[in-house]
Order: sequence, then structure tokens, then C-alpha cells
Amino acid sequence: MRRLLAVVVLLALMGAFAFGVNRFLASRRSHIPSESTISAPTETRTAVTLPGTMFISQHGDIYALAGGYFSDLRLARSGTWMQPSVIPGSDAILAVLRTDAFSDVYMIDAGGGAVHKLSHNATPGKVIQLNHWMFWPRVGADAQTVYMSYDSPKTQESYQIDFAVWQGTLAGKLAVHQVTDPFGYTGGDVDAVPLAGGGILYSKYQISSGQVYSRLAVQKDALAEPVYLTTATDDCGQPALSPDGASLAMVCTGGTGLQSTRLEVASLSGTTLGKPRTLINNCLCAAPAWAPDGSGLAYYAPADAGGHFQLWWIAGAAGATPHAAQEVTSNLDLDALSPPAWSPLLVTPHGPR
Amino acid sequence: MRRRRASRHRRAWRRKTLLGLLVAVGFALSGAAGAVAYFLPAITTAIRDTGHTIQRGAATPAASASALPGEAAAAAPDPSVGSQPFTVLLLGSDNDAKFSGSEVLTQSMILTRVDPRTRHVVMLSIPRDLYVPLSSGGSDKIDKAYLHGGANAAVATVERNFHVHIDHYAWIGLLGLVNLIDKIGGVDVVATNPVLDDFYPADLSGQNPYAFQRVAVLPGPQHMNGIEALEYVRSRHGDLRSDFGRSQRQQQVLLAIRTKAKLLGLADLPDVASAMSNDFSTDMSISQVAALLPLAGTITLQNVQQVLLLPPDVSSAFVGSQDVLMPNWDLILAEVRKHFPVA
Repeated sequence: MRRLLAVVVLLALMGAFAFGVNRFLASRRSHIPSESTISAPTETRTAVTLPGTMFISQHGDIYALAGGYFSDLRLARSGTWMQPSVIPGSDAILAVLRTDAFSDVYMIDAGGGAVHKLSHNATPGKVIQLNHWMFWPRVGADAQTVYMSYDSPKTQESYQIDFAVWQGTLAGKLAVHQVTDPFGYTGGDVDAVPLAGGGILYSKYQISSGQVYSRLAVQKDALAEPVYLTTATDDCGQPALSPDGASLAMVCTGGTGLQSTRLEVASLSGTTLGKPRTLINNCLCAAPAWAPDGSGLAYYAPADAGGHFQLWWIAGAAGATPHAAQEVTSNLDLDALSPPAWSPLLVTPHGPR
Repeated sequence: MRRRRASRHRRAWRRKTLLGLLVAVGFALSGAAGAVAYFLPAITTAIRDTGHTIQRGAATPAASASALPGEAAAAAPDPSVGSQPFTVLLLGSDNDAKFSGSEVLTQSMILTRVDPRTRHVVMLSIPRDLYVPLSSGGSDKIDKAYLHGGANAAVATVERNFHVHIDHYAWIGLLGLVNLIDKIGGVDVVATNPVLDDFYPADLSGQNPYAFQRVAVLPGPQHMNGIEALEYVRSRHGDLRSDFGRSQRQQQVLLAIRTKAKLLGLADLPDVASAMSNDFSTDMSISQVAALLPLAGTITLQNVQQVLLLPPDVSSAFVGSQDVLMPNWDLILAEVRKHFPVA
């Protein structure tokens, strides 16, 4: 009887040992950041308290960040909410709702949550090519003029589809006038930034000698020849203009094997760009945005190798001696294609927290 | 009396020793069983998808009577993935519902030279529309080599036309790539430009493999999941460079996967193997694949040289009823010789 018991105990121990070895090996798997390690922004607090209210996007939802805390705008989901953009002097923002075949621009009362659809890019028929994309909506200082990238009206049969910057108004139709004339089959013109004196600053894509690159361009009049601020070798895009209009932040990729970027800042006077200063080199920096008081620059970058994008902050980025970059968020998976939209106002969605 | 007691003691000691040994063996076996259970997906994949020997002769009937580079290649030494430089042909196929079994084209062919000692890598993308003599006979687009004779024919066709020796190949299908990228937690890629395509094949979902879907990959640094990465590397209709642009994007995503592979270890193999199940094959053994993981971690981006065959290396032409790219072999072979040893 004792022997039988000993055998049973030994067999049980061997089974447990086999299970232990199996679990030990499983524990040796690399800790690659996965969806399970991502937090909802509302479950976190930022390491740095930034001024005003910043709107960011994660996993198709838009969040407001104010006083170090995130609030979910709780927008109804029938697609992916992205690319929020501030309307000057207002609690309202613009944002893009993207679905599989088209995207539309909406106006959202960030304080109260009311949503108004401003564009109608879905085709009523079954020909999917007749749908439209609309991205990067930006409102001018008059709080009325809207610029956005739009895949202009096209014929059903053509493979050509490029973004051009179009202009419209918040009160009327969004895409009324085509402002830029994109190079064909390049992807086109994106990231329009309205300029205080009229016109826009944007990223223009071009293909030459088999290489694709982006150049920052300024354009005063519709369909006029743009003035280029950067060269093909620089390969710069994602422009962000400081509140005083004197400093331009941009993301450049030139010469780094297309797998890393540089975050640069240069002075801007009219169409003259000063010598760029590299704030961060050899990074995956994306989507810079100036604080509404000009005190610094926020941007996205992964915090570790191959990880998800976090929010970073450089105080005094416009000055000669900027501070070191600080990681503002952790364990988030921010949408790097949605630059932070930054309002000087303190907006509290759904009333006080 | 004393002798009997001593003998009994010896027997008892022997029995205890034997019992102890049995218990130790039992624990060793149970530990091995636990490890085998853990590595079972990798073992299954290893048996099914790896270690396929390259049959150069079988796929190159036309080569037997000539002194073509393919023949010289077959006789060349086959270095394992160790300290010797080696050449791998990376193949990617649209193995969706439009195709049956292994009768697929290779949408992506990247000839890769890895030097483990200098940590230097060269990636040369071969345009899929390149019009070449196929190892299986006749001339056609190079993407049809795999269709007519699988990996063996693809390897032999590249060897014969590019005058290189290929040590290994690795083939991956659409879903294998998607699952691999998802399994490693996505990849970070700097999208070069807006990649817009209104005629992107909607063949991974839905009932009609010939249907289209719209794709818009926005430019700039971003974190892509498997489907997003596939859209980025597969789309070509909205790009002025057509297949050339796509080749460049494919190399980009390969480098992004390499960055993630640096974080992987041996214990990750079962997950990776099950992710790529049925959508991956190679002639490398599982130990050679495992040896590549730490190697990937030691190669920096600056040591990876990307080469594309652009005009005037190739020129557009119309053969039969299809658009093709005609090779300018003088220019192409001169470029190849810079990076790959002549077979």
C-alpha cells in the first residue's frame, strides 16, 4: 500500500515537473509589447502636466488630455476616429471618421459631445472606387476656412488617386476649391497648415529617379506654383508651425535608410526657412505639435524597440537650448498618424471629472 | 550470518540506487515531455515546412547540357548559417483563393546576401515582371518560375540568369506574413508616401477573390499590424514606380520585421511557427532558422544595403499580351557582381 502511494506521489510529481518545465519555457518568451500590455488612456496619468487641452487618438477613439488626465470623448463608433484638429477659439474640434472605403470630417463639441457630419464621401452605389478619402482637416485663424487633403473627383477606371489640398468653409461645403496640384501617382499633398497671412504650408510628395520624397512647400494662391522650403534630400514632412509663426517643426527621413526620422526645428520668416536644428536624431519621431503658449513641442515616438507610440515633450524647443525630451505617457498605443491637436482652452468632456 | 547481512545490505543499496536512477530518469523524461509539448508547434512546422532540399537538377532540365551558371551553382559548397557568408532567396506569394495549392506566383523576390562576420547584408529586389528564360523551359516573367516548378525552379531561374549561387530559400504566403507580423506585435514603419490604391485585391476576406477594396496607407512613422503592413507592401496601382515602389516598401517591412526579430528568442519559436503554419517553407533546418535569430539582432540598419533594379537596368516592353520588363543584363550583372560572388 505504501509503495503504491509512493508511486502515485512520484508520478504526480513528475507530471508537475513536466508542467513546470513547459511553463518555464513559456516564461522565457520575449516580452514584446502586445495589445494586452496597452492601457486605455483614461486608466493612466501623464508624467508631465501639459498646458491647455490636447486631443489625441488611440485605437479609433479620441481622448482629451487636460491637467494630466485623459477623458474619452465617447464618440459613437462606426469606424476609426482619428486626426482631431482644433477650431480656434472654440470648444469644438474637427475629426476624421475613417471606414474601410471612405472617410468623412465631423465637427465635435468636445465639451458636450454633439457631433455634426460635415462631408459625405460615401458613394450611394456599389462602385467602391467612387468613394472618397478626406484627411488632415485644419481650420484657419478665422475659424471658418477649412483645408483638408481630399482625393479629388476621379473617373472610375483610373488607377490614379492622389491627395490634393482642398479648401472650403465650416458653414458651407468642405471641398469647394482645389488649392494644390499634386504630382501624379505620388500620393499627393498632405498635412496642410493654414498660414496667418493667407495660404498654406504643406507636404508635397514627388517621385524622381525612382526615389520618393516629401518637400515642405508654401502656397499663397490656388493651383499656383509652390515655394519649396526643403530639398528632396531632406525628405521632410509633417510640418507644425509655432503659435507665433516664427518656428517650424518637421519630421525628416533623408539618408537614414527609411527606417528612422529626425525631429527638426527651424525659424520661418515668410518663405525663408532658417538652418534647421536637429532636436532628436535617429528616432521614429512623428507628428510634432507646438504647445498653444509656445512653451515647447510635443511629438510621438516609441519608448522601446519596436514598441507602440507614446507622447513626448521637449520644453523650450524653439529656443537655443531646448530641454531634454521627456516621456509623457507610457503603455499607450497612440495613433502616430493623428498629430496632437492642442487647444489653449481647458476643455472638460462630459462636464467636470 | 554477517556475510548474509552484508549481502542483503548490498542488495538493498543496489535496489535503492536503481530506484533513485529510475526516479531521476522519470523526472528527466517528464521534463523532456514538458519541453516537447512546448515546442510541438515548432517541431511540427520544422518537419513540414523546413529542411526542403533545393532540387536544382529536377527543375532545370534545360540546364543539363549546357555550362550555365546554375550548374556551377549546384556544385558549389553549401555553407550552413554559421560564420560563412551565405545567399538566401526570399520569396513572397499571393497564395489567396485565386490560386490552388502551391500553384502561385511570386510577387516578391529578394536576393539577400548575409555576411555574419562583417554583419553586412545586401538585399536586391528582383522585379516580378522581369522577362527571363525560366529554368523549366521557355521565357516568361520571373514570377512564373515558382508557378511552374516551385521553389526549386525559382532558385534555379535566379541562379542561371543572375549568375549567383543561392544557398537557401525562404517562401512566405500572404497570411503567413500577416500572422507573423501580428505575432511579433506589429512593426514600426516609416511609410514613404501616401499609398493609395482603389484596385487593391480584396482576396483575404469576402467571398469573391477577384473583388477590389480601397486602400489608403498614410505617410510617416507608424505602428502597423499584419493587415496594414500587407497593404503597404502589396499595393502598386497608385505608385508611379509601380512594382519598383512596391519592392522598396517590401524591403522596408522586412527590415522592420528584422528589428522585431532582435527581441525574439528560442522560446518564441513555437508561437512564430504556429503563426506561419502552412504559409512558410524553407530548405533551412530549424536549427539554422534558430541560428538566424541572434544574427538578426547583431546587424545594424547602417549595415543593410538595399538595391533596386530600376531603369535603365530594365525597360518596359510588351510581349504577347502582357507588359513585361526587359533586362539589360550588362548593367544588371555589373550591379549583381558588386554585391554577390559570381557562381
